[in-house]
Amino acid sequence: MSSTVDQLPVGIAACECLTPLGNAPATVAALLAGRRALAMQPVLGRDGGDLVPLALLGPMDETLPPRWLPNLRGLAAAIPAGNWGTAREPVIVTSSNFGVGSLYAFTRDHDAHHLAHGTPFASVALLRREFGWGEHITVFSHACVTAHLGLAHAARLLHGGLADRVLVFSFDLVSPFVAGGFHSLKILNRQMPAPYAVRETGSIGLGDGAAFAVLSRAAAPFRLAAHALHNEMFHFTGNQPDGAGFAACAASIATAVGGRRVWVKGHGTGTLEAGRLEAQVVAKQFPGAPLVSWKGSLGHTLGSCGLVELAIALAAMRGGKIPGTVGGQAPSYADSVALEPFASAGFDGTVLTSNAFGGAHAAMLLTHD
Amino acid sequence: MSDPFTVRLKTLIITTLKLDGVQPGDIPDDEPLIGSPRFGLDSIDALELVLVIEKEFGVKIGSSEESRQALSSVSALATYLRTRTAGAA
Repeated sequence: MSSTVDQLPVGIAACECLTPLGNAPATVAALLAGRRALAMQPVLGRDGGDLVPLALLGPMDETLPPRWLPNLRGLAAAIPAGNWGTAREPVIVTSSNFGVGSLYAFTRDHDAHHLAHGTPFASVALLRREFGWGEHITVFSHACVTAHLGLAHAARLLHGGLADRVLVFSFDLVSPFVAGGFHSLKILNRQMPAPYAVRETGSIGLGDGAAFAVLSRAAAPFRLAAHALHNEMFHFTGNQPDGAGFAACAASIATAVGGRRVWVKGHGTGTLEAGRLEAQVVAKQFPGAPLVSWKGSLGHTLGSCGLVELAIALAAMRGGKIPGTVGGQAPSYADSVALEPFASAGFDGTVLTSNAFGGAHAAMLLTHD
Repeated sequence: MSDPFTVRLKTLIITTLKLDGVQPGDIPDDEPLIGSPRFGLDSIDALELVLVIEKEFGVKIGSSEESRQALSSVSALATYLRTRTAGAA
């Protein structure tokens, strides 16, 4: 099955993120030092439960106002000035969690004040008021490829002449509701994640993360050159066993890569089957390209991971050194998995991929001068 | 013929997943449970089964691989629980 690829290059005018390790440069420095943001913490916050790997910006239990708001204020301060939320400078908000932690807090504490932030549109309305955005806001949510969809949509708006600049803003903070769900699936368990490692049992970590990018058609040193999206429609929580979904998406983005020498920032959550399929497809499609995942340190930031990890990749390339797969271990499912940092010199492109429940696959090509 | 513990597990599966019209005797001991075309069980059914099994037998299934192994068939589930619980059989 084939998938489509948009080759609509746009400049990255600004891009920043917030993780428990700090902003993008601080996160890169910590990853280069091999630091894990993940720590074993109770899966249900103050209600306890099994200890699982979580990377949090603060206590997981929801607050009033919601705990994501003060964190996002700090991130939003780095957004360049603009008429954000107007017809020519629209905002795209992407998340897979939004305010679900508030809904959980309401069911737990029966405090109706939490309901004001519980739905996606209520949480976006709060962001709009807080940051003074206008009404031209589009909201995307499609599990863990959400941020990719927002970035791809922004490129289409720009190339369609429908906007001059687009702000893509993404946030996903972990709640007991979401952690409990992944724990029920047993993929969030008592083990630290080791992306792409061959071992007996797999595991993921979950992490708080937020990021933004300002995209425009104007020339910029770094560009998002292409987006590939594919949905294999195989099963809600499972991939086609032969990896055909991964292969279709990788083949599409490869048409845009052309002869560039790339490194690959993979999805790499730490689950075994998906890790094996992804590593093998990347090794076949991009021979010689180092493959890294940073979710062994930061955990999986869910719908925001595509944008959070884009900001980290940009900061790493500016610094000249790419963090390796923190938490990974030999043997890996492919020889191309880079466990140690490597120099960015000599690479003229980066492929960034994400995968999601429902069989969704996304990839984008980052290029630079 | 299935032993009483195996019949108990099959009854639990039928009740949990609301398999209308299915009797314990309709579920073979050694056929795959998840992905079986006969019953159409998938990973969401597996999630429900795991939660009920943990509650009913007081066990903790530690990973998705362990879950997949335990639910590979009724016989496998019975063996798994017998090794982890006292008096289950």
